[in-house]
Amino acid sequence: MSDSSEALASAKAAADRIVKTKRLNACITPLKELRKSLDQQARAAHPSGVLYGMPVAVKDNICTLEFTTSCGSRILEGYRSPYDATAIAKLKAAGALIAGKTNCDEFAMGSSTEHSAYGRAVHPFEKTRVPGGSSGGSAALVAAGAVPAALGSETGGSVRQPASFCGVVGIKPTYGRVSRYGLVAFGSSLDQIGVLGRSVHDAARVLSVISGRDPKDSTCEDRDSLRLPTVPESLQGFVIGVLKEYFPPDLDPAVRRACERAIRLLKELGAAVRDVSLPHTPYAVATYYIIAPAEASSNLARFDGARYGPRFDGALDVRTLYKKTRGEGFGPEVRRRILVGTYVLSSGYYDAYYRKAQQMRALIAQDFRNAFDRGVDLLFTPTTPTSAFKAGEKVGDPIAMYLSDIFTVTANLAGLPAMSIPIGRIKGLPIGGQFIGQAFLEDEMIEAAYALERVVPAAEEA
Amino acid sequence: MSVTHEEVLKIARLAELDVDEEALPLLAEQMSRILEYVAQINALPASEGMKPFVPGPDALRFRADEVKPWPLAFGPDKLAPAFKDGFFLVPKLGPFEEPEA
Amino acid sequence: MAAAAGGRWETVIGLETHVQLRTASKMFCGCSAAFGASPNTNVCPVCMGLPGALPVPNEQALKHAVRAALALGCAVHPRSIFARKNYFYPDLPKGYQISQFELPLATNGSLSYLSPDRGIATATIVRLHVEEDAGKSLHDRFPRETAIDLNRCGVPLIEIVTGPDFRSPQEARAYLQTLKQVLEYAGVSDCDMEKGSLRVDANVSVRRPGASALGTKTEVKNINSFAYVEKALTVERDRQIAVLEGGGVVEQQTLLYDAKTNAVRPQRAKEESHDYRYFPDPDLPPLVLSEPFIAEQQAQLPELPAKKRERFVAQYALSVNDATVLTADRAVADYYEAVVHAAADFKAAANWVMTEVLGDAKDHQGQLRVPPESLAHLIALVQGGTLSHQAAKRVFTEVAERGGEPRTVAEALGLTQVADRGMVAGWVSEVLGAYTTEVTRYKDGERKLLQFFVGQVMKRSGGKADPKLTQRVLEEKLAP
Repeated sequence: MSDSSEALASAKAAADRIVKTKRLNACITPLKELRKSLDQQARAAHPSGVLYGMPVAVKDNICTLEFTTSCGSRILEGYRSPYDATAIAKLKAAGALIAGKTNCDEFAMGSSTEHSAYGRAVHPFEKTRVPGGSSGGSAALVAAGAVPAALGSETGGSVRQPASFCGVVGIKPTYGRVSRYGLVAFGSSLDQIGVLGRSVHDAARVLSVISGRDPKDSTCEDRDSLRLPTVPESLQGFVIGVLKEYFPPDLDPAVRRACERAIRLLKELGAAVRDVSLPHTPYAVATYYIIAPAEASSNLARFDGARYGPRFDGALDVRTLYKKTRGEGFGPEVRRRILVGTYVLSSGYYDAYYRKAQQMRALIAQDFRNAFDRGVDLLFTPTTPTSAFKAGEKVGDPIAMYLSDIFTVTANLAGLPAMSIPIGRIKGLPIGGQFIGQAFLEDEMIEAAYALERVVPAAEEA
Repeated sequence: MSVTHEEVLKIARLAELDVDEEALPLLAEQMSRILEYVAQINALPASEGMKPFVPGPDALRFRADEVKPWPLAFGPDKLAPAFKDGFFLVPKLGPFEEPEA
Repeated sequence: MAAAAGGRWETVIGLETHVQLRTASKMFCGCSAAFGASPNTNVCPVCMGLPGALPVPNEQALKHAVRAALALGCAVHPRSIFARKNYFYPDLPKGYQISQFELPLATNGSLSYLSPDRGIATATIVRLHVEEDAGKSLHDRFPRETAIDLNRCGVPLIEIVTGPDFRSPQEARAYLQTLKQVLEYAGVSDCDMEKGSLRVDANVSVRRPGASALGTKTEVKNINSFAYVEKALTVERDRQIAVLEGGGVVEQQTLLYDAKTNAVRPQRAKEESHDYRYFPDPDLPPLVLSEPFIAEQQAQLPELPAKKRERFVAQYALSVNDATVLTADRAVADYYEAVVHAAADFKAAANWVMTEVLGDAKDHQGQLRVPPESLAHLIALVQGGTLSHQAAKRVFTEVAERGGEPRTVAEALGLTQVADRGMVAGWVSEVLGAYTTEVTRYKDGERKLLQFFVGQVMKRSGGKADPKLTQRVLEEKLAP
């Protein structure tokens, strides 16, 4: 059997599986185009690449030469990027196949993939529920077994939260570990491309390939790509901190049970477990919801219908063109965030909001540093306060939606690596547990995740 | 901390977003609630203020001055919704006149 | 002049100058920064503001910016921050310009210049910062649309802001000419207002002489040449004075200068002043410049115009005026010194450079066509009597046009003078023999006939006799 036919078989099988997930509205690439492209890619794939033949789906806000890149928005409907994101180029160089683009909240703004202009994505187990967001499509596709891994992106937890809801692994690397060149910017100081995978190994090896230096991104650190650890025998020598503020008295009892079970297992694996406090945690969501919209309001100013994307007709002058394009092209959540972001940067408010938020961010980052300086290697927390909620439940209340990010935003604010692995079920729905690691020490975090993954009864009720 | 309708319209103008009259009250209310919520960071006493934190490298790396553009698989003519004689086209300026800077 | 309008107003002007830096590639991407390419051919994802693109700064641009700041006596800050200036305009693809705001590259400099009103004056350079240029909007190319060309988008710029230091439109122009000279000397830009590599916006206000507070200022834009700087500022100053003398109030606004009508008009209908919502660009870590980096630029600074002028006066015994002309352009100054170095007489070299060399350069795109050693040689031939000054000018033109070694060219053109005493004496004798009446008249007192005799000798020699030698021989022969 020649090398090319291995990839071709993989391509065909992936396309067949993705076809079966149509009802999830997770993959938004037209299936005919997907099949044709997968076939072409399989013929050209590098046979010696470490991911040779592996189908990897890609969130719709990451630029690919194949397929469209519309970021879940009307304003980029039909947009074809004339370049590949660096992460995509690295996947291709490793022989992977780009298995279509996945549905997401518009411009990655959301926690449920209900804010997509292309229809909501559906939870793989219960169709009335959301798969999480904003990388809901990627998480659902992996959970449904269609692809072993998919790229997502994080600004405030958009990889980990859907991973928790869908029962898959989701990793967010340290800020600067993976190039952002080609990731359509939302909150530039928070954004990172992350990976959803059906196992820690699948997610980690994709992350390893896409990580590493990139001269095209000034915020990408000049480091080699992530080195993959081996599965450890035990977690002897690991000190794991349990964050007090992430187990508030009103935490859902089932979530608490699942986490306590996981912590017990970590102890049984030999880890020492300690209580840790990050006192500025209560301000994290507020801090995030100043910084992210502010940066977004600026990042999204380029979408005006002038140079790419659809042209909304009937504008008599350029001002009207902008307003019409942006008014009709952006959905309500995006418009809201742009307005909030513009407000907090505006003259008279900048000091009280944006500057203050950046200072608060420093305190949050300092909290983590203090914890790690006291001998803690990793932190363990719930990923989300609940399992997947019902579609429509939170859409009308922005703040309720924001609060579902409560355990995830801190890692983005501090720029730290974090990952979620499935640790149990709550009334049949998956729930994830989260590790937060030290900057650029993803390997330690992945080691602990490997060990826990082997022993945690992820399919069992908590 | 309430955001008035005028303020919403002013911010919308800065952001080049149309807000129609019907949507204005709800939008103003939602924005007020969001801004009220995030304003809790002002609980942070001034003395606790630290230098802002941004993750990533501590200093910029420089690029050598060489004419080596990043790859572009196809040109502006294929990207643009309106393109003629090598130029992007937009409807005439109207209320705009000359450049800002 | 403000004095003419009743003598009761003081003009206060500040200038913001944008200067394009001479680099091969753009500020934040590897596209060519060259002027004049076909529209939208020097573009990439970064300068087109495509989704997902990111900026990466050009080292050479930063070197030029530092050198410019040092040439203007600024304090260069080892740590500065790029900030986003947010506004919407068709030729600004990202909807923001990457610039610097709270922590600019340099502050607190100064530039001395010769004010036509008050001698040597010093302008304060409040700040100098780095930013990227925008694209070009062409409103007249198509009837119903504006055409956008992004070739210029992303070209490196420095913005140089003065304090409200100028007291007349003439001063403002003089400062700009000096600024251009200094930046050209430093090699950071060609400062060509025609090509748009130097652009000026002015802030103008008036007040009563002796007042400490400043009047309301307006901003004047769209000034496209040094001459228009003076005209535009004059027009705006006069307009403000007229408003105030008419009992009105000067409104703070932005005005555009229209060269065709020599008038200013408001840029836009009543509109809120812009809120640019500056914040540090999260795509760019802090700009940190090491001491060696800054020191290297200091070391690479050439001798600046003022110093060079002073040195020329002292070293070459030139007048201040002559030294000013010779040092106006660095290339010319270097040329002059090369001529002098090739052993030419200081004063003669100065004259030749200021007249023939600069005259020729003016007609030939500024080229200094005659090699300095050749000019030195030519000067020596004149001083040695082999060529008359007139003849030498012809040789100069020939060498400029077709090259060659001056003596060879002179001989080929038959221009070498005869300085042979015997031959000259022969011609003198012939002339004196032919014009005996005039000889008598000369001896009787009509001394001015000497020139007539010189002229006749020149004629007989076919222009080749050395006129000075001829005159001496004549004087000897006509002596009583």
